[in-house]
Amino acid sequence: METAVDVKNLVKVYNHKTRALDGIDLRLESGIAFALLGPNGAGKTTLMRILTTQLRPTTGEAYVFGLNVDREGGKVRRLISYVPQEMSVWTDISGYENLLIYAKIFGIPSHERKQIIDDSLKSMGLSQVANTLVKAYSGGMVRRLEIACAMLIKPKIMFLDEPTIGLDPSAKKVVWETLTSFKKEYGVTVFFNTHYMDEADLYSDRIAIIDKGKIVIQGTANELKRSVGGETISFDLAGNSINETIIQKIRGLTSVRDVMANSTELNIISENAETTLVEAMEILRIENIPLEKISIMKPTLDDVFLKYAGSRLETTGRISEVTHTRDMIRRG
Amino acid sequence: MRDSVRNFFVMIELELRRLRHDRTELYFRAVQPILWIVIFGPVMSGIRAIPTGNIPYTDFITPGVLIQSTTFLCIFYGLMMVWERDSGILKKLLVTPASRYATVIGRSMASGIRAIFQGLIVIPVALIMSVKFIPNPAYFISAFVIIFLASGGFAAISILAASFMKTRERFMGIGQAIIMPLFFASNALYPVQIMPQILKDFSAFNPLSYVVDAVRGLLITGDLTNLPIDLAAIAIFDVILFILASVSFKRIIE
Repeated sequence: METAVDVKNLVKVYNHKTRALDGIDLRLESGIAFALLGPNGAGKTTLMRILTTQLRPTTGEAYVFGLNVDREGGKVRRLISYVPQEMSVWTDISGYENLLIYAKIFGIPSHERKQIIDDSLKSMGLSQVANTLVKAYSGGMVRRLEIACAMLIKPKIMFLDEPTIGLDPSAKKVVWETLTSFKKEYGVTVFFNTHYMDEADLYSDRIAIIDKGKIVIQGTANELKRSVGGETISFDLAGNSINETIIQKIRGLTSVRDVMANSTELNIISENAETTLVEAMEILRIENIPLEKISIMKPTLDDVFLKYAGSRLETTGRISEVTHTRDMIRRG
Repeated sequence: MRDSVRNFFVMIELELRRLRHDRTELYFRAVQPILWIVIFGPVMSGIRAIPTGNIPYTDFITPGVLIQSTTFLCIFYGLMMVWERDSGILKKLLVTPASRYATVIGRSMASGIRAIFQGLIVIPVALIMSVKFIPNPAYFISAFVIIFLASGGFAAISILAASFMKTRERFMGIGQAIIMPLFFASNALYPVQIMPQILKDFSAFNPLSYVVDAVRGLLITGDLTNLPIDLAAIAIFDVILFILASVSFKRIIE
């Protein structure tokens, strides 16, 4: 597997005082979707701007498909496409014209241009408004146009800074379905920053959590969730107590990490709640323990975030703030 | 290199497309030069206080006020660069294969397109006011080429200033502070010969004077003796400003 992104001990200090990145190490295989999660000011955007050759690292090295982003920026820029967090289309021309201008900047040959632009517009559901001025677009339409723009060339890697911020759930779904099939069809690596846990959970193959300029943990969504502690199965014993032998039996099951019991409740912590549940039920049935109800609790990425970044990811306030700014810019 | 040249032409095309959708700015910006030509010119020529040789005063100032308005336009074009920094457009442009210098120069030169259209709005008004232009299409076209070339340099001034001014409000102020001294210390409204010595010296370094001189020669007087010097001065001005703007551009994006 080719290495898409390779970052070694990357440090970025702004104005000799603000340490935005404090020794980032990251290695990503090509063809995956990677989500970078983190609170405001954690360094997500800075990392993305260094990888897209806009900023120079203070120390450390970063490579995109083996090319040094600092020394070989020109070559890197041929391989990547990028959607910044802020609005990045011209509002006083039409959606089609925006894509046409970028198609020309990217040097797409003239006989292919129209087809490629039409395809991108169609995949983002913008064919109907192709010739409308972007001024008249809704926030969601603008975002989809920006993503369509990044899909014009078939990049080896796409960098998306908060790609679906401010989109309604159905638009979000359209965007991700298109991105996922685009990724599959062309083997594009997708690198995105996000505040939406569900988005990282559903659409990424790998997640890293960044806090105060450092990557605190990385892995697949499941690995991260497991690292928080196991999944918990709770049995309501309807007032019956259970003896130590039963507890020892349950403790002996594979995947079980811990068992806690009192007169009313039995809690099993397991690495795989579904299989443990079947096995534990069997033991309890044999021992004739009546049960009133059962519940399973699995850790969410939110719990992961809480554990490693030390705070819950505040999304609501932040999203409305960004949407508001984008609206202001759009209105000019 | 090919990417950079292509980028330059795409930026020009972008400007044309914008103008196709909305030219309101140009119409409003034309009000000022039109007032100079329609009111200030005739009133001042009545008192015959300014020695303009054999040509009527209104004819004399027409190239001057035209260049003043295009320069204004180009300087404020820098505002758009600031706007593009606030939005993500500049960031996205910087991540395209073209070099960032091509982006700076391309964006600057694109202001020349606006300047040309501005000229095309003002000239008919001057004709109505019976300003006599040299009836030679080659001269006419050359004058507009010069306006186009000089515009890039003036837009680069605004990029340079924009890199120091982080807010739009501050930039609005600095825009005025750049343009008015350039205008009054130039040959736009009166010949350099009648200025005090200190202003004469300043005028020798004022790019606006060279542009006005070249355009006045081509459109009104037909006197092209200074044209090579004017062209050289404009070329030097452009090159210096492009270099400074490209270097300071780093500040804009960080």
